[in-house]
Amino acid sequence: MINTVLNIIVVGLILFSLLAIIRAYSGPTVLDRVVAMNVITTNVVLIILIFSFLDKSFYYIDVAFVFVLGAFIGTLCILKLLREGHII
Amino acid sequence: MVLQYVAVFFLLGGFFFLIVGVIGLIRLPDVYTRMHALGKCDTLGTGMVLIGLMFLVQDVTNITKLILIMAMIITINPVVTHLIAKTAYNRGTPMAEGSFLINDYVASQRRRRKRQLETNLSKEGGESQT
Repeated sequence: MINTVLNIIVVGLILFSLLAIIRAYSGPTVLDRVVAMNVITTNVVLIILIFSFLDKSFYYIDVAFVFVLGAFIGTLCILKLLREGHII
Repeated sequence: MVLQYVAVFFLLGGFFFLIVGVIGLIRLPDVYTRMHALGKCDTLGTGMVLIGLMFLVQDVTNITKLILIMAMIITINPVVTHLIAKTAYNRGTPMAEGSFLINDYVASQRRRRKRQLETNLSKEGGESQT
């Protein structure tokens, strides 16, 4: 039972990422694309965690943690570039 | 066995909130309303899915790591949403048709700075005439 539920959730997360890619393709401004990228990042973190449970290889939880921090720094750099025109 | 049902409840609840957030991302007309949909639904859905995984993973170290990831996401996601909203407001991104601002913070600040500059200029002019 639990495996079917987790598989359904993974397929749903992939579909939501595709919908967010549609929004990132047709977004009128840059900030729509930033928001869609944020959603895709969160979905990828959830997919990594669910696969680490399904595969019983729990070392991928550290990978998900590093991925969260890297995505946060990337979003901050993009927003600072948009506000001030330079990063450093 | 009871723990599995509790985990399924949390996982499907988080899945529902993720569905609502992505429908808001597709359907809503504006940058601000899209952030309004995603800043709440995505945080809550991710938190509920991670709580469901915590019921499944019955190991102390992995539960601790999952709690750490959940705390990171719950603090990072609203911060990023707030920064995106501030950037959109400073760049002057247009809003949807029919929406209006109640309290325009930047305009009031600019007006106050202009008035202060005028008073300073009049003071300096008075001093230079005498």
